[in-house]
Amino acid sequence: MKFISALLMAALPLIPAPAAEPVSASAGGGGLDPSVLLHPPVDSWPTYNGDYSGRRFSSLTKINDHNVQSLSLAWMYQLSGGGDPSGGRISATPLVVNGVMYFTVPDRVWAIDARTGHELWTYTWTSKGGIHLGNRGAGISGNSLYFETPDCNLVSLNLNSGKKQWNQAICDLDQMYYASAAPVVIKNHIITGVSGDDLDRPGYLEARDPATGELQWHWSVVPKPGEPGSETWPNADAMAHGGGMTWLSCTYDPDLNTLFIGTGNPQPVVAGKARPGANLFTESIVALNADTGKMVWYFQPSPHDTHDWDAIQTPVLFDGDIDGKHRKLLAQASRNGWFFVLDRETGKDYVTSQFVKTNWAKGVDAKGEPIPNPAKEPQIAGALVSPNQGGAANWPPPSFSPATGLFYINATRAFSIYYIFDDSDKPEGWGGNDQGGWAESMLQALDYRTGKVRWSHKWETPGIRGGLLSTAGNLVFAGDPSSNLVALNATTGEPLWHANLGSSVTNGAITYELDDRQYLVVGAGDKMFAFVMNQ
Amino acid sequence: MTREQWGAIVSNMISRGAKGSDEEFAEVVDYLAKNLPPTNKVGAPVANAKTQRRPSLLDQAGANDKQIVDEDAAARGRTIYIAQCITCHGTRARGSERGADLVRSVLVLHDRYGSAIGPFLAKGHPEGKSVTLTQNQIVDLSHFLHQQVGDTLRTGPYNHVLNILVGDPKEGKAFFNGPGKCSQCHSTSGDLAHIASKYDPAVLQLKVVFPQTAAFGRRSATNSRKPVTVTVSTASGESVTGVLDRIDDFNVSLQDESGQYHSFERGPGVKVEKHDPYATHVELLDEYTDKDIHDVVAYLETFK
Repeated sequence: MKFISALLMAALPLIPAPAAEPVSASAGGGGLDPSVLLHPPVDSWPTYNGDYSGRRFSSLTKINDHNVQSLSLAWMYQLSGGGDPSGGRISATPLVVNGVMYFTVPDRVWAIDARTGHELWTYTWTSKGGIHLGNRGAGISGNSLYFETPDCNLVSLNLNSGKKQWNQAICDLDQMYYASAAPVVIKNHIITGVSGDDLDRPGYLEARDPATGELQWHWSVVPKPGEPGSETWPNADAMAHGGGMTWLSCTYDPDLNTLFIGTGNPQPVVAGKARPGANLFTESIVALNADTGKMVWYFQPSPHDTHDWDAIQTPVLFDGDIDGKHRKLLAQASRNGWFFVLDRETGKDYVTSQFVKTNWAKGVDAKGEPIPNPAKEPQIAGALVSPNQGGAANWPPPSFSPATGLFYINATRAFSIYYIFDDSDKPEGWGGNDQGGWAESMLQALDYRTGKVRWSHKWETPGIRGGLLSTAGNLVFAGDPSSNLVALNATTGEPLWHANLGSSVTNGAITYELDDRQYLVVGAGDKMFAFVMNQ
Repeated sequence: MTREQWGAIVSNMISRGAKGSDEEFAEVVDYLAKNLPPTNKVGAPVANAKTQRRPSLLDQAGANDKQIVDEDAAARGRTIYIAQCITCHGTRARGSERGADLVRSVLVLHDRYGSAIGPFLAKGHPEGKSVTLTQNQIVDLSHFLHQQVGDTLRTGPYNHVLNILVGDPKEGKAFFNGPGKCSQCHSTSGDLAHIASKYDPAVLQLKVVFPQTAAFGRRSATNSRKPVTVTVSTASGESVTGVLDRIDDFNVSLQDESGQYHSFERGPGVKVEKHDPYATHVELLDEYTDKDIHDVVAYLETFK
């Protein structure tokens, strides 16, 4: 334990201003006071990322690099009532509040006992359509739980009974939007995003009333003519159909009252002929005032993207030293293979580097944004591009440990051939795609000060990538492509423990402490597994 | 080409000034579809692509009650479209300077079997020369427009590789025998003899660049893949070589030449050597230019 203490001491400058850490979220006698989200207690995991920072780092140390070999199964829960149309894959990060765990798959919600896996209630939404690819989870405020449905609804359930309280349409199914993000509760706002890549619609982010679901503010990813960013589009029509979906949950800095969201690819997705320009604010990391939705700054990881490389990966917030000064930082390992560290007050870029080797950029401009090579845009005869459409990173969450100062990302280096299928002057939809492929996968630990890879653990095979969790126990928990949940030494990358779950890890692991016992919970396919120390 | 695809070409000709009645144009389309039907070559449109494709999650896009396109009604609707709409809304209904994009039209997307299109036209559209259609014609037009929407999606029938044969066969030959080092393992009179008659250009290109993964649409391509082999040596001196079955950080398993299955826990005393028969192709991924790829495919396409 001395080693852990030393790590924590060394990490002190990286930890945000300490707060009086509550020991329990249940102190209020049921429900969840949104103010608790500012400093989540260790017996909870009350938001998609565990807290507002997106770090997916836990201060718990009962499970650590010295004893993790003794980690063993506490319980396993298999989805009841059959799976959803996507095969029952749990891609939601579960929430834990007052000893109860809540999670989703498309159209379904579960409440189970976080100590035993015992089912308390389930809720099934009757769907009117939409793509049932996955659902990332729920949000909780007071005695209400919120989740999005593939048919474009935000649904509120009573936390205790699982009964529906209300639903509000948040997008238009006929326009081929769908909804899959985990809503984020910020004060008296429910922040909701939208999904859908099929027919050239504009993306947006909204805030809604927790009591009624009524719209509070709406931020459009693409500008209107004359607005800032419109100069990066050829005309109003391209802008209005320019895409930029908000697929994942935002992060939030309470001191700045600013939320941070990554936006998706421009549309048409692959054939970008009719949308010359950078196509703002698609493929961007954007800072918005949480109460008004007004933009504070933006940074664009993939100007004029034509490869479906949504820049939606979690914008992770932490404080750290850059150029000898202590700064409020934001980092993203983007789907395009590049890692960025920004000043989250201003958007100024401090670090731009590749976390896997790529072949699509000519260099980096003065703002720190990669400059796309036009020759590596999709071509009629094909262009060999790395990464492939799946990207160097995708939606599975990364992690940042203030104890090690390392940013962890389950990465893929991949090639494919991108083709233009629609060579007309006005392609729509996708207008092309990538085909073929070769890939290798690895867990990368990045030094946020330099962007350099401190250590890399290459998986033996490529494949599905799970999300990550790091802890003050000097551990990183990751899914590998062979259905293992693996615990690695967070400082060195050495694998210390594993359990084969029979299916790849399909979400990001979480941890919480109940009755002086630390639980580690992860989803794999249609099962939720909970591990504890058996000592 | 299919009747639908010939129809699109004839529509284009009409928009460029071709003269004739609807009946005459329909007759021309019928003649072309009958005498110049679809071929099976990759690169050319594939007949019945929509019905032969395996359904995917992406087919869930939109509402459950979205309009199911009746192809015959859509064909009739196309004729109406050509006569009444094409001048302003374009050959693919994607709009022009004179008329709105109907594929992206929210009104069309909300429409079901003419439920929105009918009332809209009844108000008098276009201005000064209102279209007057029967209810059946409105339904047919609706089927045609929804067909255009469906065809625009990534699951639509036009999402296929176009002409990729842009390379220089001579330079491809030079690459094959030179920096590509292809000739060190392959021969155009041996394993690659008549390769162009086995694979269409688009498939061949994928086979050249990614031979380790199954090229789409060709079962034989999967069957001809060479397996990764592995040699496992233990501290006791045992050494086994065979086809890799499964490997991760903790275990490795294989099948030896006799078919015997072997499984090992990995550890300090266990040495594992993987042999990837496609390692040279992987190295080339960082070395190829796109021109190299296009040239070598053009060269191999000469071996019919």
